[in-house]
This record gives sequence, C-alpha cells and structure tokens, in this order.
Amino acid sequence: MTTDELIAALARSSDKAGPKRLYRRIEIALVLGFLVGLVLLKVTMGFRPDIGVAAPMVALKAGFSALIATFAGGLALRLARPLGDRGQLIVRLWLPLIILALAALAIGAVTLLTMAPGERFAAFMGNGFPWCIFLIPLFGLPTALLLVWALREAAPTRLTLAGAAVGALSGGMGAMVYAMFCSVDSVTFVTIWYVVGIGLAAALGAILGTRLLRW
Amino acid sequence: MAGGLGLVADEAQLHSWMLGAQAGDPVATRQLLDGLAPRLRAFFRNKGARPEDAEDLVQETLIAIYTKRSMFDPEQRLLAWVYAIARYRMIDRWRRIGNRGLDLPIEDFEHALAAEETEAGDPKSDVAKLLQDLPEKQRVAIELVKLKELSIAEAAAQTGWSPSDIKISIHRGLKALMRLVGSTAKGA
Repeated sequence: MTTDELIAALARSSDKAGPKRLYRRIEIALVLGFLVGLVLLKVTMGFRPDIGVAAPMVALKAGFSALIATFAGGLALRLARPLGDRGQLIVRLWLPLIILALAALAIGAVTLLTMAPGERFAAFMGNGFPWCIFLIPLFGLPTALLLVWALREAAPTRLTLAGAAVGALSGGMGAMVYAMFCSVDSVTFVTIWYVVGIGLAAALGAILGTRLLRW
Repeated sequence: MAGGLGLVADEAQLHSWMLGAQAGDPVATRQLLDGLAPRLRAFFRNKGARPEDAEDLVQETLIAIYTKRSMFDPEQRLLAWVYAIARYRMIDRWRRIGNRGLDLPIEDFEHALAAEETEAGDPKSDVAKLLQDLPEKQRVAIELVKLKELSIAEAAAQTGWSPSDIKISIHRGLKALMRLVGSTAKGA
C-alpha cells in the first residue's frame, strides 16, 4: 500500500474527533480509583478506629497527599499528550513536584531534630517498620490501572516520564486513601515516609511505563 | 525544511487543516496528511532511516496522527505535536524490531507474495497454509487486506480493530510469513 493510498483510505473514513475525551477519562480514573481504593482499604484493613476524633489529623495527612497528587496530576496531563525531545521543558515540568518532595523531606528532618533525643526514634519509625511505603503504592494501584487505561487512549510519547507521573499521581491518591488507616500522626513520619511511598510508586511507574503505555 | 517551496504547507495552514480533521472534514483530513507526508519523509531520512524504512515510518506516523487527532489541543503548535509523534513512532519501531534481525520494508514481502503467485500452482492456498501458523490477529489482517484486497479502513470497520492495529498486524504478519517461507524453502 502506497502512502497516497493510505492517506486516501484514512481521509475517506474520517469522522468527528473532538479534543475533549482525554480529560473525561482521567476524571473517571481519579474518582473511581480513589473510591475503589477506599473500599479496598475498608474491606482489608479498615479505617483507624478513632477516625472521628482524629479527623483533623486525617484531613491534614490526606491534604498533604492531595497536594502532591495535584502537582503530579498536572505533570501526567501534560505527558499524556505528545511531547518531543525538549529537555529544558521537561525539567521545568518536573521541578515543582521535586521541590515539593524535597521541602517535605526537609520539614520532616527539621521536625525530627527539634525533638528530644528520646522521642526521635518513635516519631521517625512510627509503630515499628513504616509499612506505609508499600501500602501507599498498593492502595494507589486501582488509580494507576485506570490511569493506564486513560493514557493508552491518549498519545504519550515519553513513556518513562509519563509512567513516573502516573505513578506519582497514583501514589498521591493511594496516600489519601491510606491516611484513613494510618494511626501515626507525627509530622516527621508523614512527611518522610509518605513521600518515600509516593516516590516508590513513581519509580515503579517509570519502570513499567514503556511496557504499559505503548500504543 | 520548507526550503522556500511555496508548495509546502506551513504551520498555520496545517493547524487549520487539523481543526478541520477534528471536525470530521474528509477534505481537510486529506490535505493535512498530504501536507505532512513530505515533512515526515524528510524528518525520518534526516534521522538516518533507510528510504524504504522511512516510508513505513511515514505511514505509521500518519496513521497515528489520524487516530490520535482528538488528542491534539488546538492551543498547541501542530508541527511540534507531529514531530513528537514521529519521534515516538521511530523509537517504538526500534523497540519492536530491535537492531538485530532483518528489517525489510513491507513492499518486499508484497513482492515475495506476488512472485509466489506467478510461480506456484495454487499460491493462495500455499499462502493460506502458511497463514495458519500466524497469530490470529495477523492472519485476519493479512487475509482481509492483502488477499481480499480491502482497504485498511474497511478491514478496521469489519474487525472492529483500529486502523493502526491492522497496519501493524499486517506488518508483523508479513515479516513472520517471510521467515516461514524462508525456513520451508531451506528445509526443502
């Protein structure tokens, strides 16, 4: 088939294709992914028993996660559409999210240093090992799968970067869900381990991106 | 790249044709793809693709531009969008094919199939036998487009697969077929 024949065939079959569908799918992915994550958490581990009394802390932790998700979301939206080989632009796109993550880690470290030495370990580690670094990506998984579905319909051209953005966004959503369970309210714990968990989700996304987002 | 040729459509012109294509106007779609083809050809050759590979890439990119036209944001520059897709199609081709192994253009297989038709007694059934060894999607795509001579769009409509799916399945299928032909020829 020659290129002229191909063009003729494509033009013959053309129909309307407006530019709005991508956003619809991403909205569905975020809302549905969050709800499925919540149900998953409720069924498996349950919400924290004192969720009523602790509502302000839960809101703070979920809000912190939502802030990261918002930054990552803007990035994912841009990377869902064709983007060429423009290094500077890519650095500029990622910079806000990276600064936010570093700021959170710094706040965690400073808060830790202001504590009495005897309290530091408990504030840093929570109740034993910070399992949230694995649970945050896990509860972000429904969002991640739905986002993959949304982005395959789109046309990402930088798959590793798009995968990382999807991972960070899903991790942020997973952290919002996880905040309903997490009973450790220390600032250090949340700013450090939540960011690590979300970062792990982003790294997984970067690794799987080229495989899952191909079109 | 426009090189001062009055015939080569510029960004503004292509952009307005893209809006037409999004609105479902077949004439604008045709003008858009016709306008982009020479630019893409030059792009791939500049990147070092062999002429016959370049043509395949041009076709894959045109299909991608067509199928993903709803993803073009009218606020964006069209050519940046197009070249980002072209670049991606080239990288995806490397991923698919790798640097090793034969990478013959689709036309070679067509010639090979055509040659068989004139030489062998009942070529279509020979081909049909070999086709049975292919994955279903590739087999169906080749049967519809290469043997029943439907257009890509018709085959897409009939199977419910996207046109780019069809094109890629044909490409992969013909390549696999070529290997099968080669191995049976050696065995004989």
